Amino acid sequence: MTPRFQWSPGPVSWQDDVSPLPPSEWNYDRAAHLLAHAGFGGTPEDIEKLADAGLERAVESLVRYEPLPNPKMQPFGESGFWDPTLDRFPESRPDASDRAEKYGASMGVNVKPAGNRPMQPVSDRFFYWLRATMLETRRLGYWWANRMLQTTHPVEEKMALLWHGHFATHENKVRDYRKMHQQIVLFERYATGNLRDLTIEVARNPAMLYFLDAQYNVKGAPNENFAREVMELFTMGVGNYTEKDVRECARAFTGWYFDDLAFKMDPEKHDDGIKEFLGRRDNFDGADILKIIFEQPVTAEFLAAKIYRFLVRDEISPALRKQLGTVLRGADYAVKPLLTAIFKSKDFYSAASYGGHIKGPVEHMVALMKHLGAESMPGVPDFNQSTIALGQHLLNPPSVAGWAGGKAWITPGLLIARGNVARDTLIPDMTGFRDWNFNAGTQGGKQGPNTVPPNGWDGTNESGQKVSKGGYLAQIKASGAVGSSTVIRKIGVIH
Amino acid sequence: MTNKNPLTGTGVSRRDMLRLGAGGIGLGLFGGVGPVPPVLSQASSSVAANQSGKILVVFEWFGGNDGLNTIIPYGDPLYYKHRPTIGIKERDVLKIDAQFGWYKSMRGMQRLFDNGKVAIVHGVGYDRPSFSHFTSISFWHTAAPNSGNEYGWVGRTAAGLDPSGARDNMIVNIAESQTLAVKAPKHVPLVFVDPQMFKRGMFAQEKPVLDTLAADREPVGDAHKYVLEVTKSAAKASEVVRAAWSAYRAKANPDLRLLDLDKVVALIEADFPTQLYYVPLRGSLFDTHVNQAAPHDRQLQYCSDAIEGFFSEMQRIGRADDVVMYVHSEFGRRVPENTSLGTDHGTAQVNFVIGNGVKGGMYGKPPSLSELVLGDNLQSTIDFRRVYATLIKEWLGADATTVLGQPFETLGMIKAQRAEKHATP
Repeated sequence: MTPRFQWSPGPVSWQDDVSPLPPSEWNYDRAAHLLAHAGFGGTPEDIEKLADAGLERAVESLVRYEPLPNPKMQPFGESGFWDPTLDRFPESRPDASDRAEKYGASMGVNVKPAGNRPMQPVSDRFFYWLRATMLETRRLGYWWANRMLQTTHPVEEKMALLWHGHFATHENKVRDYRKMHQQIVLFERYATGNLRDLTIEVARNPAMLYFLDAQYNVKGAPNENFAREVMELFTMGVGNYTEKDVRECARAFTGWYFDDLAFKMDPEKHDDGIKEFLGRRDNFDGADILKIIFEQPVTAEFLAAKIYRFLVRDEISPALRKQLGTVLRGADYAVKPLLTAIFKSKDFYSAASYGGHIKGPVEHMVALMKHLGAESMPGVPDFNQSTIALGQHLLNPPSVAGWAGGKAWITPGLLIARGNVARDTLIPDMTGFRDWNFNAGTQGGKQGPNTVPPNGWDGTNESGQKVSKGGYLAQIKASGAVGSSTVIRKIGVIH
Repeated sequence: MTNKNPLTGTGVSRRDMLRLGAGGIGLGLFGGVGPVPPVLSQASSSVAANQSGKILVVFEWFGGNDGLNTIIPYGDPLYYKHRPTIGIKERDVLKIDAQFGWYKSMRGMQRLFDNGKVAIVHGVGYDRPSFSHFTSISFWHTAAPNSGNEYGWVGRTAAGLDPSGARDNMIVNIAESQTLAVKAPKHVPLVFVDPQMFKRGMFAQEKPVLDTLAADREPVGDAHKYVLEVTKSAAKASEVVRAAWSAYRAKANPDLRLLDLDKVVALIEADFPTQLYYVPLRGSLFDTHVNQAAPHDRQLQYCSDAIEGFFSEMQRIGRADDVVMYVHSEFGRRVPENTSLGTDHGTAQVNFVIGNGVKGGMYGKPPSLSELVLGDNLQSTIDFRRVYATLIKEWLGADATTVLGQPFETLGMIKAQRAEKHATP
């Protein structure tokens, strides 16, 4: 086992040079650099394996990961909160009561036949589901983080994370963890697949259709939300199309909608007329439009640069952007050849590619656990709480533009939070636990200090009976509303 | 190995460590901050040297605020023709004159306006407007429409006010990540949302080692260099910000819903040396494409109440004469409503400049509702950089031409006596 004593960035002259690194330049540090950028890093043993394999085989095993068994991947274990009455969930609480007023019921619950507050059951049901799907989405985030940590295909998970931020939707608007789960599965399946196919799948994806108002995009009254974002954020970037292209694009996607978890097209609402789009003229539908977009050289450059900036470094020169765009387009938008070219290039090992990437919070937390050799994400500190504190709430990117990334991950406050998360990881704060159900009352009750008895837990409960084996971690004292009675709660870890 | 010094490899000498350890503000945080935190008085004494004087607070309403449903041209029948369902009925308008009125939930702003403290600027925009949220806001941030600038207009204004870049904490940005508008050539803006998070957890014994994190060291790459710079700025600022926040009492008042403006109040009350505050409203809350009536009503009320609350706080702490607030969005909305009871991305918008130092009233020529451009949009009548120039020159007293790269005619909306009062300290 070789510790990584120091970095060995290549010469400045390698920058922007996409020719392959000579085998003689391969070493332990460069294997560590590859694993950190292509995936989430690893233990010295993981790095040693890549170093021994040589550049060619190291890159090959990372990028063409399919043959490698991946025994720890488990499907998401749903809590089963959802039921069909939640289909077509109201957009707002007033919307929920409007429906209830109209039909006497909403979301499977009836309006009260008599008495005060007849709408209360409807309101309760509405907020129940908001809470339930939010909590289940946190479980989903935790599950995904574990996949990132446990996978033998780190490139697959790293790229899925990229596509989640690129084709961004958030649960806060989608309000259905199942649709978010469906997206993770999609992004893993197409992680290093064909980008045109992925984009078409995204345009048919229920979470995306709902997120960008597809249900309002109908013949005669197009809603431009998706049409604009698909060109500006997903494929070409601003400045490569006109406002007319946006309007024509919106027309082509009219009638696309979803029924629960399935894509549907309503021919009645689809505008089948002639559209003029990026200099072409025909009765295009959405898939045709996306194919035309992927014929534009700028699309390949835009996406290649996005991948490069996510994996390698924040800044990319116009020349390198062009070169990588050519590679992506030459492979008809298959991602693997581009990744292979990037990971083998001299540029990837040049001085500019060292210390040029700021890890996003999710990448940072997974990498931290990888480096520590953790087998699964710990419960304390909580993965979601930690990454939210660092500015990245998985499955809830701040807007359709995803996370800004790069230097935006670091501000004075967020940097301090990173330090604290690192500390919480090494010294998990079990005694700092607060009882969330504790109610201080109105007369100044308070939650007292947490204590650990010097001799540890004797393994008995309040009645003196032995309970499951474990360690006594903390005893929380809380006083009641008038400060006279004390409640003791014991917190233990059960093995 | 004979290494006994725990700092070996950190690039910090023992002498540096002692200097850092004794450097006053540092990262040291043991136990709570008392009612009169000593560090706050340190901050106060440094303010005396810096003389923050006039303060500008930019409150950005990101998402594309629908200006026509904010200051409503209820006197123009064309307005109701374009907006048969989501147009605001005359009975829901707080009238200013026979043409215009505030949206009904904006009573707070109306009261400020009636006291002569609000300038309403009509038709603010720029030539060849972008309909993209992100592109348009970047034009506003850099003050470089259809072009670009590495730095933001607020960051460049800081350099105009303090060309040497010697003043610490010149710019505060209440945001999750740094807003482009504050990216500065000479200053490191202080960016945070939650002052309580602005604290390094540690045991006393760990302090000397953690303090060395802010020491000079050789960066490996561009991103690393940036992280090292921020490390220093974090060390300087974290304790004073928390002390100011902890001393600020009005945050417990549930009637004061100040959005993120409460943090600005806390720092101004603590005599922070900051002259430029930038507060982007979080969560794209003005992005209302469908069924916009209810959310827009709510947003306008929250923001309007927050602004009134902010100025009542300024009054309470005796700084109302020293602060001007500027409100803008990245664009307005299209004139005709869409078929989903909302509006799509548009062009010209209404801006607000608020404060005791402002000559209240309406400025600019309201765009015509009959001569629409670029697919049913308003033709802007004032370049937004004229408003910027007014704030930079008339209010802050810096050279607007240098900051903006070209001359712009100012709007004469700042009271002259205020400018004189501050010109002579």
